[in-house]
Amino acid sequence: MNSFAFTKWMLWLVLFFLIAPFSIVFITAFSDDNSLLFPPSSYSVRWLLSVMQTEIFVSSLITSLWLGFGATAIALVFGVPAAYALQRYPVPETEWIRTLLTSPLIIPGLVIGVALLKQFVLLGGNSVNLALLAGHAALVLPYAVRVVGASLANLPRDIEDAAFSLGASRAQVFWRVVLPNVRGGLAAATVLAFINSFNHVPVSLFLTGPGITTLPIRMLLHMESSYDPSIAALSMLVILFSMVFVFVTERVLGLSRYM
Amino acid sequence: MKTALTLEQLTLAYTKNLTTVENLNLTVPEGELLALLGPSGCGKTTTMRAVAGLLEPKSGRIALHDRDITRVPANKRDIGLVFQSYALFPHLTAFENVAFGLRLRGVQKAELEQRVNAALETVALLEFAKRFPAQLSGGQQQRVALARAFVIRPQLMLLDEPLSNLDARLRLEMRVEIRRLQKQLGVTMLYVTHDQAEALALSDRVAIMNAGQIEQLATPEVIYTQPRTVFAARFVGFDTILPVQPLERRVRIGKHEFPYSLESRFNRAAWRAEHVRLGTGVWAARVLARSFEGQQVQYQLESELGVIQAAVPSATAVWKEQDSVTFDLPLEQAVWLVE
Amino acid sequence: MTNNRPRAWLLLFPATVFLLAVFVYPVGVFLLSSFRLENGVGLDNYFTFFSSEVNIEVYWRTVRIALLVTLVSAVVSYPAALAIMQLGAQYRGLLIGLIILPLMISPVARSFAWLVVLGREGLINKTLVGTGVLKESIPILYTENAVFIGLLQLMLPLMLLSLTSALENLPRDVIAAARSLGANSLQVFTRVILPLTRDGLTIGGTLVFTGCVTAYVTPALLGGPRVTMLATLLYQKAGVTVDEAATTVISMVMLLTTLAVNAALKSRSRGAA
Repeated sequence: MNSFAFTKWMLWLVLFFLIAPFSIVFITAFSDDNSLLFPPSSYSVRWLLSVMQTEIFVSSLITSLWLGFGATAIALVFGVPAAYALQRYPVPETEWIRTLLTSPLIIPGLVIGVALLKQFVLLGGNSVNLALLAGHAALVLPYAVRVVGASLANLPRDIEDAAFSLGASRAQVFWRVVLPNVRGGLAAATVLAFINSFNHVPVSLFLTGPGITTLPIRMLLHMESSYDPSIAALSMLVILFSMVFVFVTERVLGLSRYM
Repeated sequence: MKTALTLEQLTLAYTKNLTTVENLNLTVPEGELLALLGPSGCGKTTTMRAVAGLLEPKSGRIALHDRDITRVPANKRDIGLVFQSYALFPHLTAFENVAFGLRLRGVQKAELEQRVNAALETVALLEFAKRFPAQLSGGQQQRVALARAFVIRPQLMLLDEPLSNLDARLRLEMRVEIRRLQKQLGVTMLYVTHDQAEALALSDRVAIMNAGQIEQLATPEVIYTQPRTVFAARFVGFDTILPVQPLERRVRIGKHEFPYSLESRFNRAAWRAEHVRLGTGVWAARVLARSFEGQQVQYQLESELGVIQAAVPSATAVWKEQDSVTFDLPLEQAVWLVE
Repeated sequence: MTNNRPRAWLLLFPATVFLLAVFVYPVGVFLLSSFRLENGVGLDNYFTFFSSEVNIEVYWRTVRIALLVTLVSAVVSYPAALAIMQLGAQYRGLLIGLIILPLMISPVARSFAWLVVLGREGLINKTLVGTGVLKESIPILYTENAVFIGLLQLMLPLMLLSLTSALENLPRDVIAAARSLGANSLQVFTRVILPLTRDGLTIGGTLVFTGCVTAYVTPALLGGPRVTMLATLLYQKAGVTVDEAATTVISMVMLLTTLAVNAALKSRSRGAA
């Protein structure tokens, strides 16, 4: 099995290439140096403590959290019914709507950001906060539509007909039968939507203002001006937070034990 | 006897697979088990979905007892549905699956528990109440689906190919089980199937459907012995169907004429394989294939009339492949048809 | 039940209206304004943009790097995806998790890691100089190579996941069947695996190429001012020099380039199937 040896080596190489750089982030986060050195000359947690006490980082984090949760909530509220309709009630316009609802994925984020700034804020007179939230919600809506849609596609229609014939109203069918059976899809959509909003840069790049700067943008700005381990510390905290979020969402919404 | 279900001039268009049902009339008396028998695409499932309220009829009327339900939504019809795919709720236990309809009806806790447990006991699944569908076998899942449908005390039960996903042995067991249940509960049942043996075995009456029409509606005995159309005859196992020409006190089949008085409207004759007599008669054939089936031996013959299926008791089945043999098609056992 | 249209529209309405208002309308008006001139409508803004040699260079650099990342990610992902299949179901969940993990991590953090690795005083230079392979450190950071490496790491998981899922959907035992008929490893790959996973390759290629053209953080941090890409140029024109005509033209060019490559990949895969 020479070919297996070759493919296995390629896999290890790819995984190393994908994962190893993060170890650098983690090591540098514990640096005691004043500027960025690798490997650090000595270790401490002072940069980790320092970023957690830096006002602008904390306020950016709060902005990003609100933005992520808000965008995710909007995407689910609009996206889940749409995904259901696309799956269950095919009408002639379905394909067009499906394309529309997933189109934010193929439009460059920068373009969305610039367009929103121009049309929504400068010409429309809306606040930057609102434009930012709208942009992020549009950006992550496709995840809700796609992931929940895929989950719905695996739910046989007979099951809904059965509930219906047993006396359930359409709303009862949806709440009691459909939703509990797409919990895995909802969990995945929530994770994808939130993490993508939380980490996203291009849409937010132009939509900043006094008191409104997302954490990734703040990190970018900081990197341009100073060369110290605080970004490593922040990156590590963000990575840890993302992983905890994925874990908790999976626990709360659960990937179904009965499937 | 009171009528449970009435279909009057029912016309259905099912756009997806293009089976249309036109001007269908059917009445099912209370307590009867009526089978809708036909090949896939004959309109039987379309009809069933319309009765269940999952498909809106184009025209016509559906009545349950004396209540017109043509425009009543499925969730207000009081009809118990059993699907080929079982359609159990994957996120609920067997108990909760059965309790689903009762909870929606606001049945109080004590009564609910008593009724659900009784239903599970009826289908011999009480000890599996806490299991999820994925932890049950196919047969058990089908029994949960049955219990879930009858526990709401429906005025009518609809079963759509309920046994098709089960293996052959289980299918025979469940046939008996469903019949027993239906008698015990006294519930009216409409049973959709493509399996003629199943339809004949468990129903009071069988409706043979073809191309959106009922071709024949009769008891299993009548359907089995006296099919009225070529389609019905072929469907219930009349393998040999030949064109015949009635003459005065004679009948012409192929190049032979036989003395027989036959109404002039008939132009086809049909025989089952076991009607065909081997080793005697005017027809000559060659044995193409021979298969031993225990009690009898099935022969495939190549003859001047085309390929003929014949079944002979094993004790007398002396012919081998390639043997020449004569055979007889006894006119007194023929079923006469019009095409 | 026959007339689903009112019900469908009731459920589709909120999402559709929302996207039309906050996405289609602003982006559409913005993109169309690239054709607007002081007096009337025309392509003048495009001619102005492409008359600059610097802009053309930026455009070709973007397309070149994006295509290269797409190609390399496909070449590297095929064997890796095959290995995931060969290793068996018990490891698959873990391996897929490890591939998805980087996707969940901020591109800022990912680019930062490369700053530390590729810089003049970075890990690679220090190692190579320290072991005597190089006499003095070479520039890697702020070159096209750095952008390429950063984008490859960013996008590789998308290709790898697409190909893994395509391989999972391969009809069972076709590889064993091809082998039993006498095909060697290379023949199995070119005659069985490649044709049967072409859809996965198309999806992965589309995702990677689009991602490369539209990525901002990686070229901004790893390319620096010397390696400008379309996305960083767009940022300069919009945020720094406030050249509105150029901003709209770049946006349109980015969009058309990704759409064209998506369409080309799609038609190729359909033509082959």
